[in-house]
Amino acid sequence: MTARVTPLALSLLGVAAWAVSLGVLSGRPELLATALPILLLLATLARPASRPDYSIAHEISSDRAFEGGAVTVTVTVEARSPLALIELLGPLPPGSAVRLGNHRAVLTLRAGATARWSYDLHFPGRGLHDLGTIAVRVRDRFGLRVWECRHVDPKPVRVYPRIVPLRHVPRPAHVQASVGDYVSPALGEGIEPGDIRQFSPGDRIKQVNWRASLRLGQLYVTQQHRERNADVVLMLDTLAEVGAPADTTLDLGIRAAASLATAYLARKDRVGLITYGGVMSWVRPRSGPAQYERVADALLRADVVFTYVAKDLLRVPPRVLSPQALVIAITPLLDQRFSKAVLDLAARGFDLVVLVVSPVAVTRVALAPSLAGDLAGRLWALERRSELAALRRHGLPVLEWRPPEPLEAALVAARRPRIRLASAG
Amino acid sequence: MIRLVASGSAIALSALVAFTAPELTMATLAGLLLAAVAIIARWRWLATAVACTFLVVYTAALLSVRAPLTIVPALGFGLALVVLLEGADLAIRVRAVSVEGGVVRWALARWVGLGAGVFVAAVLAVALAGSLAPTLPDAASPLLAAAGALVSVLILASLVRRGA
Repeated sequence: MTARVTPLALSLLGVAAWAVSLGVLSGRPELLATALPILLLLATLARPASRPDYSIAHEISSDRAFEGGAVTVTVTVEARSPLALIELLGPLPPGSAVRLGNHRAVLTLRAGATARWSYDLHFPGRGLHDLGTIAVRVRDRFGLRVWECRHVDPKPVRVYPRIVPLRHVPRPAHVQASVGDYVSPALGEGIEPGDIRQFSPGDRIKQVNWRASLRLGQLYVTQQHRERNADVVLMLDTLAEVGAPADTTLDLGIRAAASLATAYLARKDRVGLITYGGVMSWVRPRSGPAQYERVADALLRADVVFTYVAKDLLRVPPRVLSPQALVIAITPLLDQRFSKAVLDLAARGFDLVVLVVSPVAVTRVALAPSLAGDLAGRLWALERRSELAALRRHGLPVLEWRPPEPLEAALVAARRPRIRLASAG
Repeated sequence: MIRLVASGSAIALSALVAFTAPELTMATLAGLLLAAVAIIARWRWLATAVACTFLVVYTAALLSVRAPLTIVPALGFGLALVVLLEGADLAIRVRAVSVEGGVVRWALARWVGLGAGVFVAAVLAVALAGSLAPTLPDAASPLLAAAGALVSVLILASLVRRGA
């Protein structure tokens, strides 16, 4: 706890010195009497100061929120000695805003009294914030001396990206061994009928296809397609971003990644994540609700880190980027290094879908409407159309998402036919 | 509320000067205008400058009328200066914050207590000065007053410095 004299004391000292000087120069004792209240007040600084005794506790309504959500911060102050004036500066992390109440408070407390004050913080964008630090300033009863300290009690808050429900997501070309929602070309236990064959010992009676058996004069059984899950790896481009804060191409890409992860995990798929940028990181594909937490935590930390280095996807372990996985590359295609990485994956035979977050639409929303801006936007859109066409010529399915249109509208174009038994070979 | 109190003190300062010397009314109005700016804009340095300005105008008023010595209005003037400076300071502190009602009550109670303390101190000081005055030579009085003023300001400055 640091003690110091307030600016008010310096002001009072200046005014008192001025009054005394004027009194001596003018020879009017009234001016000395005028200085008397100020001198008496300043004389209290001669008293030994006793440090204020109090305790502060604060709590938050939730340690998780979604973009656009709010968290209530409640601060409780318990005074063990009289607190003439206590100023509290509650946490207000960058990227948040006070929606209700105020993050600063001024209180006066008697010994033994308790005060509680709360305010709502609004988080427009994703992020990992700490609401654990409260700056405290206690003034003595004359307002001339102040004690300052910081109350630190870590309270992390995770603000997750907004999720939109997706009915149609790109269908993986390959399936894995675990049970899932995709109809596999392989035959076995399942719901969808696949083929019929002659009855063999061990077949169950309920599998007998009575219509075929009566027509052909022998027992035939119906075989079903197996239902299997798939590996989906979301590859997020963090090399560059454009747009207004909280609505940049990266923010939109992260929302798309979170929505896709939620949709695939609901289908019992294993979902992994690779953030490809100045710092490359990954989350190994797994399934289940806990995996969403892992992916979302990685997405919270995703940010643009400038680098001249082109990262090599060979660094990613095969268990993260398995050859059978569906890779969904989410990118604004602002950096050629990501395009090269995508083409590299396609050349290695990965099942790949490129979801392009249109930077043109995002930039247009961020800029004030003008003729020059509109013309530049149209030229940029033409240039990007040729870039996307070049990618399509390599056989890549490229989906362009132009916010604020819904993500689902962009994904509908990626509907693939189900792999049938005949085509499975 | 706290800004109202500070404004009231500025008006009281102007009124005291205007009653002492009505010809300085325009100067007091200028001081009042500056005080209003300081209180509305919450500028501590301007409030300090306004307090010094009021002191200059009050000195001019005292010199112009050459009235007999009256302590009580001068004490009131000093108290009003304290309220103006503290009010402006408190207005800065409570800007855009959640304020509990007790804060203003605490400030008002303190100013009332200060007023009572100042009154008692003034009575004692006048009694002491009355008993000391006959013993001091007339020629040494200005020098003693200057030395006393300098010493008192230096003591206060050392107290402030020690506190810092």
